[in-house]
Amino acid sequence: MHTPAHDDVRTQPLVWSDRISQVPKEVFVSEPLFEQELKTIYYGDCWHPVAHAGELPEVGDFKTFDLGRMPLLIARGKDRELRVFLNSCTHRGTQVETATCGNRPEFECPYHRWLFALEGDLVGCPGSKEFAPDFDKKNFGLKPVRTAEYLGLLFVTLGEATPPLDEWLGESMRSTLSVVLAGDGRLKLLGYQKVRYAVNWKAYNDNDGFHAPLLHTGFRLLNWQGGQGAQFMTPNGHISIEAQLKPIQSSGFLKDPSLIEFKGQNPEKGSCVVELFPVSVLVKHLDVINLRFAIARSHDVTEVHYAYFSHADDDEAMVRHRLRQSSNLLGPCGMVTMEDAAIFQRIHIGSFTPGYAEFQKGVTGGKEPSFDVKQNDETGQLPKWEYYRKLMGFKREAEA
Amino acid sequence: MNADTLNAIDAVQTRNIAALDAQDMAGWLATFCTDPEASYICISAENEQRGHAIALMFDDSRARLEDRVSIVTKVWAGTYQAYRTRHFFQRLACREAAPGRFEVMSNFSIAMTPEGGVSSLLTTGVYRDLIEVSPAGALIRQRRAVYDADALPRYVVFPF
Repeated sequence: MHTPAHDDVRTQPLVWSDRISQVPKEVFVSEPLFEQELKTIYYGDCWHPVAHAGELPEVGDFKTFDLGRMPLLIARGKDRELRVFLNSCTHRGTQVETATCGNRPEFECPYHRWLFALEGDLVGCPGSKEFAPDFDKKNFGLKPVRTAEYLGLLFVTLGEATPPLDEWLGESMRSTLSVVLAGDGRLKLLGYQKVRYAVNWKAYNDNDGFHAPLLHTGFRLLNWQGGQGAQFMTPNGHISIEAQLKPIQSSGFLKDPSLIEFKGQNPEKGSCVVELFPVSVLVKHLDVINLRFAIARSHDVTEVHYAYFSHADDDEAMVRHRLRQSSNLLGPCGMVTMEDAAIFQRIHIGSFTPGYAEFQKGVTGGKEPSFDVKQNDETGQLPKWEYYRKLMGFKREAEA
Repeated sequence: MNADTLNAIDAVQTRNIAALDAQDMAGWLATFCTDPEASYICISAENEQRGHAIALMFDDSRARLEDRVSIVTKVWAGTYQAYRTRHFFQRLACREAAPGRFEVMSNFSIAMTPEGGVSSLLTTGVYRDLIEVSPAGALIRQRRAVYDADALPRYVVFPF
């Protein structure tokens, strides 16, 4: 349920400038603000991607995940439906499943041996003849969480007024997301890279198109020119970038240039990034399909599970190619992205200073964020910041 | 196997971690054999256990090993916060898989100290190696570093 945030955080002297291109650095380092963000955003009326169907292809497959601090259990039932439950026994609240993923015929809480079917029903509870007179197993199934899917990407929401998923994503995000998800969403899991970054979740998800040729030395050394592209934003904080892939002119820097070959079919949209509000990043670059399921652990820790996929129609050679490229290119130790990881921590440390994070590239001086931005403008982030500001109830100087 | 063989195997392992702690990537590369099929795979125990092949570092050829040296020393130079590591290893098992080739399993742990920070454990794990031993000494033909952390505590620059 959406909780107006301003009543809870108004004791903080957090003032937003009248300049829409300024974001107070305090939002990145405030511990009490994080608690309010959990209520308003993570447990509020927003959708959050938590898994892709390709991670749980078989009956009994499960995965655990955290939405903020809320433990979730995602399982494929005997009817092949994917369901999400709170990972908490309906008896005394014990965490039901501790493994990160696996396959089980049912879920058992070891404390008092309550047994739950894959569909969440309570099917066993020893000693129930002596339970409270009104006890009925039908009322004690695992608590389900509202879900929706787009091309196999599974979203959850704890809010009561969350709009339908299609509306939440918007047409432009669905369009780019379909490219990331290989058009039909028939993905097969290749595996994970998981890492914790010492950074606030909002800085993790604030990566812009401006930095890429400046930060990433690899692009220059590899003679890797970016192609034409476009950036799209939605009023509720989503951003996508679509760009063509230009053929790479080998510079001789790599002894094994096969690592960065593109073997896909659509170079016009060979590089696509979708940043979904609040914190998820979904990427298709070259032949890498990478869904980054992020967890806002605290005001200063963001954990990211990089899940990599092949497509169901890939032959063995293509799977091998994706495996090599995925492992080495875009993760926390990736040839292109390690520098991003290093920057996250520096943003966090630098944000303990007073003042504002300043956006410049593409700023036109308007009073409202523009949705007409170029591919490499920083200003693509501004509609998201405006949505966040309003959601959290922060006023600008002129309104205060 | 005789003591000279074990000494040679331990010596190349020691050279490997000493090079990593010195951030001497050329020295690290020199502990691998020059065969085009020499490899270094660094993978999480979770992926290994589940049969998922995605690795953190996937260098399945000598060319990839050489490219990793170039990436660490040329692409990433100046972009990451400097940190020191101390690697520790202990050989657990060793068997001769073929004449002159030994399958070796060793535990490892890596302490990490960021510049200006305190020391902490980066991760622990197991090296599963195929090591070639000749009269000239030992070299690593395959190293599979299986690390225990489900979620690493930070980004990574240097091999494990």
